[in-house]
Amino acid sequence: MPIGFQILDRALRVIRFLLPILGLLLVWELAVRTGLAQAGILPAPSTILARAVELLGLTGERAVLFGHILASLRRALVAFALAVAVGVPLGFLLGLSEEAQLWVSPILSLMLPLPAVAWTPILLVLFGPGDLTIVIVCFLGAVFPVLYSTMQGVRACGRQPVWVVRSMGGSGLDVLRRVLIPSSLPALITGFKLGMAHSWRTLVAAEMLAALTSGLGYMIFAARSYMDVSTMFVGVVCLAAIGMLIEHVLFGTLEHVTIHRWYARDAQTGGRQ
Amino acid sequence: MSNVEKILSDPVGETATLAPKPKITAEGAGIRFGSIVAVEDFTTVIREREFVSIIGPSGCGKSTLLYAIAGFLKTTSGVLKVDGKPIVKPGPDRGIVFQEFVLFPWRTVLRNITLGPEIAGLPRAEAEERARKWIRLTGLGGFENAYPATLSGGMKQRVAIARALTCEPDILLLDEPFGALDVQTKNYVMKDLQDLWIAASKTILMVTHSVQEATLMADRVLILGARPSRIVADVRIDLPHPRDPLDQRLGRYRQEVTEILSAEVDRAMKGERGQ
Repeated sequence: MPIGFQILDRALRVIRFLLPILGLLLVWELAVRTGLAQAGILPAPSTILARAVELLGLTGERAVLFGHILASLRRALVAFALAVAVGVPLGFLLGLSEEAQLWVSPILSLMLPLPAVAWTPILLVLFGPGDLTIVIVCFLGAVFPVLYSTMQGVRACGRQPVWVVRSMGGSGLDVLRRVLIPSSLPALITGFKLGMAHSWRTLVAAEMLAALTSGLGYMIFAARSYMDVSTMFVGVVCLAAIGMLIEHVLFGTLEHVTIHRWYARDAQTGGRQ
Repeated sequence: MSNVEKILSDPVGETATLAPKPKITAEGAGIRFGSIVAVEDFTTVIREREFVSIIGPSGCGKSTLLYAIAGFLKTTSGVLKVDGKPIVKPGPDRGIVFQEFVLFPWRTVLRNITLGPEIAGLPRAEAEERARKWIRLTGLGGFENAYPATLSGGMKQRVAIARALTCEPDILLLDEPFGALDVQTKNYVMKDLQDLWIAASKTILMVTHSVQEATLMADRVLILGARPSRIVADVRIDLPHPRDPLDQRLGRYRQEVTEILSAEVDRAMKGERGQ
């Protein structure tokens, strides 16, 4: 396919994706304008957009949105990075050692369904409000999905691919580098996606409970004192949009250059089919 | 005197001085997993450049035996030797090809085949040079940059064979190499493998459950009994290579092997039914 068509195809796909969202916004706008919904509780999209522009800093003193977004992103990403740093090596260990797995998996199955936010009050007692508490809560939200997916990926590898490398005189490091890591990569990416999504979700609740001055969760919660519903909606929309961008752009690209190429899925389908 | 010494000092061995050196020696090798005896008292000598096929009822432990020779599993009794030295671990002197190909989907055909030389620490250019030879001989030319997911079963198995041969092993171990291929593809790959064997002069040990494959390709067919398995017959197929599948003499060998094998399968089935 010529490159021009590819771009056109891609653009059409993006439009097709945005169409239902635009439809929803239109219905919402009309519902408010016709008085079907109360503007004081459900502000119209146009009102929210106006507030967003204001908060984004195009008009003076209320330009705080970028600061909140950056604070939130920083916390969620630090927590995610820590979760990867802990979850991936531990996942490999548990995936490779039956013994370790026997000991740890009961604890894992207890921790996996536990909402990380439940730890927030305890951490508040320990560390007080602030970044440390928020990052730890997000970390606890992210680490278990990463760990679990890594473990599953490593265990799914099977013994024959390992044998192939061994029969070529490969060392333990060769097995890790040339078999275990690439073969568990699809599972790793799934774990990263889940981990980041958990980190992002946990963040909002943690910020509502433990943030002092910044973060989207803080912004939404603080707006409650002024009954400032538009600002709350700006926060909610930002959370949704940023979460979606991280999943589609960051992890979508990662999948595109790795597993989609290897397993010969159609490169044109844009990664989320 | 052990069985092996008996075999080696066999009076028919007037030709033994002329015969190639023993490559793989098994002296009462046994493998058990817990209380399950997979292989018991496996004793034989496989000589250099011999093509030997192991055949037996399913579950008789023939693949287990192959894995032990590859060094993936340990014997629990007796000894397995290569070039007179006991096998302790896998090594590049023994290449393996599995039924399910076991290619690395994240590597292209070329990179799958260069894996052995890469692990051996060869520079990339030299690794590719070595791979090219086997890519040509296995008919994979033009597919170097394809990913395995885009290949047919027969092509995948050629990649697996080329990958094993690029390590230049003395011994090629084949674990039901045609089991996952359809009949037409299988015939092609079998023909290719015979040509390769003639060209490469390797010792080949092939595990199969197909009498047709075993008799067509091997110099000797070892028939294993039902578990715990031991050799019940050692049939020499005295026909020149490459062989014609329609050869009358081959048909007689097929019949002989089938008869011995059927008796073993009957015995195994009776055993399973507890009679």
